[in-house]
Amino acid sequence: MTPSPSATIPAMIQRIVPAIATRGRLLSMLAFGFIPVILGVLINRANSEGRGNEVEPTELLDAFTLTIYVPLVVLIFASATLGTLKEERTLVYFWLRPIGRWQIVLAALASAWLVLIPLISIPTVAFAAVVGNGRDIAGGVLSALAGVLAYGAVFTLFGLLTRRALVWGLVYILVWEGFVGGLSQTAGRLSVRNYTRSLLGEITNVRILDDPESIATVIIVTAGIVIASVGLTTLLLNRMEVD
Amino acid sequence: MTNQPPPQPGSVPPPPSQPGSVPPPPSQPGSVPPPPSAPPPGAIPASAVVVVERVSKWFGDVVAVSDVSFYLQPGVTALLGPNGAGKSTTLRMIAGLAPTSRGDIRVLGGDPRTDASVRGAIGLVSQQEQLFAEQRAVEFVELAAILSGVTNPREAARSALRSVDLDPEDTRSIRTYSKGMRQRVKVAQALVHEPELLLLDEPLTGLDPRQRLAMTEMIQRLGAEGTCVVVSSHVLEEVERLGSNVLVIAQGRLAAQGDFHDIRSLMDNRPHRIRVRTTDSRVLGAALVTYGGVSGVELVSSSELLVDTNDVALFRKRIAPTARYAETPLLEVHPLDDDLESVFKYLVGR
Ligand SMILES: Nc1ncnc2c1ncn2[C@@H]1O[C@H](COP(=O)(O)OP(=O)(O)OP(=O)(O)O)[C@@H](O)[C@H]1O
Ligand SMILES: [Mg+2]
Repeated sequence: MTPSPSATIPAMIQRIVPAIATRGRLLSMLAFGFIPVILGVLINRANSEGRGNEVEPTELLDAFTLTIYVPLVVLIFASATLGTLKEERTLVYFWLRPIGRWQIVLAALASAWLVLIPLISIPTVAFAAVVGNGRDIAGGVLSALAGVLAYGAVFTLFGLLTRRALVWGLVYILVWEGFVGGLSQTAGRLSVRNYTRSLLGEITNVRILDDPESIATVIIVTAGIVIASVGLTTLLLNRMEVD
Repeated sequence: MTNQPPPQPGSVPPPPSQPGSVPPPPSQPGSVPPPPSAPPPGAIPASAVVVVERVSKWFGDVVAVSDVSFYLQPGVTALLGPNGAGKSTTLRMIAGLAPTSRGDIRVLGGDPRTDASVRGAIGLVSQQEQLFAEQRAVEFVELAAILSGVTNPREAARSALRSVDLDPEDTRSIRTYSKGMRQRVKVAQALVHEPELLLLDEPLTGLDPRQRLAMTEMIQRLGAEGTCVVVSSHVLEEVERLGSNVLVIAQGRLAAQGDFHDIRSLMDNRPHRIRVRTTDSRVLGAALVTYGGVSGVELVSSSELLVDTNDVALFRKRIAPTARYAETPLLEVHPLDDDLESVFKYLVGR
C-alpha cells in the first residue's frame, strides 16, 4: 500500500529535526543572534548621553540581520538536513521506501523551517525592538522569515549537491550576494538578498535599494525559489546513487 | 501492505503484487537454475522475482560487475564471492540504489530505481553500519513501517523486532547496541513490511554462533514461505548451512551457479596443491604416485614434498594408509590453496 504523505512527512520530520538541531548549534546561533542586541543597547546608551550618531534601524537590520545573520544560520541548518543523511549514509532508510522523493525533500525543508523560524525570529524581534519601533520589528521579522523560506530551500539543495555545502554556501553568500550582486542589477535580481531587503524597505518605508521590488514580487519570487529548489532537489534525489 | 501474521511454513506463498502476473510456485528444491549466460528471453519463468540481464557496473576505471545475467525465484539464493567480487554492488543495483552502467534489471517486472510500488516490495539490509543511532530500535523500525504504508506500524515494528530476538520495549537508544544487535535491528527494518524480495548483504557478520543459527533459520523459513531472499557471503560454510541455490561471483563475473552440492563438488574437483612433510619424502612420494590418487609430486627436500591432486576427497582418504604402508610417518599435511581466494580464481579461469 502506498503510504499517505500526511503520515510519512511528519515521521521523517521527527527524525530530521533532532539530527540538525544539536544543542551546540542552537546555543551558538542564538548567542550569535544576540550580539547585535547587546550592541544595540550600547548604542542606545551612547545616544541618550548625546555622544552617538543617530543610526537608521532599517540599515542596521539590513546590514546585520539580512546580510549576515539570516543567510549564515539558514545555511548551517538547511544544508545539514539532507546533507547529514547523505554523509552518514542513512538516506537509504528514506530513499528505498515506496514514497515519492518529493516527500523526502519537503520533510527536510519543513524540518529546517521548523527549527529556523523561532531561532531567527526571537533575536530579530529583540534586535529590532532595541534599535527601532513597531514598524522595524514587523519589517525585520517578515523579511528575515522570507529569507528563511528562500535560503532554506536553496541550501537544502546545496546539502545534497555537495559534501562542502558550507563552503559553497559561504561563497554564494559572500561572493555572489555580497559582491557580484552589488555590481549589476541582473546579478542582484538573482540574489535572495535583493528580495529580503526590498521587503524590509517596503515595510519600514526606508530606501535601502535604488530600485526595490514590490511586496507582491517578493512573495512570488520567494515562492518561485522554493518550488524550483524543491523540484531540483527531487530530481537530484531521483538520479543519485545511494550508499 | 497489511500487517498480517506470517504464513506457516509449507503454506502457499503470497501472490506477487503485480496484477495479472502468474503467482510464483514454491521454490523447487533441487531444481536446476539456468547456466550463467544470458538466458534467451523466453526462458525466464513467470515466477522470476528478479531478472538481471547482461548487467555491468563500473566506477571510473574499476569494473565492479561485468556482464552478469541471472534470474531469481522465490526461495533462498546465496551470492558467494570473495572480498571485492561485486556482491554488494550487485545487491545495490537490484535494490535500485545504484544504476547499472550497462544492462537491465527488473524486479517484479518493474524498475526498482523509478517504480515506487517495486521499492515497496523490497527489503534491504545493506553492508554499511549506519542507523539512526539516537532512536530506540522500535522507533527506527516503526519509521520504516510508516514509510512503507504498513497499517499498524508500531505493532508491526514490535513483531519484526521480536522475530530477530530483540526486545521491542527496550528504552535504550540504538547507540548503546552491540554490532550484532544493530545488525538485527537492520534486519527488522528490512522485514517489517513483509517484502517479496529481501536482500541481505552479509547478514551474519557480527553475530555470535547462537544468533547466526537463529538468523539462518529465519532466512530459511522466509524462503520456504515464498519470499525471494538473497544472502551475500564470502564464507563457504555459511552458504552450506543455508543449503540454498548459489551464485558464485568473482572478479565481477558470475563464475558458477547451482545448488550447494554442485558448487561444493566443483570446488573439490579442482586441482589442489598440498604440502606434505614426512621422514623420507622420496619413499612417500613414490607411494603416493602409485596409490594416493595424486597427479603429480614434486620433491622439495628430503623431508618435504608438494603434491598435486584433482580429487581432494580421494587424497584425504588415501594419504594416511599410504604413509603407513610406506612406513613414512606424516609430520604435516597442509593444503596450500584452500583459501576461498584461490578457489574463486580457479572457477573464474575455468
Ligand atoms: N562507490 C564505489 N566507488 C568506487 N569503487 C567501488 C564503489 N563500490 C564498489 N567499488 C569497487 O567495486 C568492486 C566490487 O565491490 P563490492 O563492494 O561490490 O564487492 P563485495 O563483493 O561486496 O566485497 P566485500 O566482500 O568486501 O563486501 C571493488 O573493487 C570495489 O572497490
Ligand atoms: Mg560487500
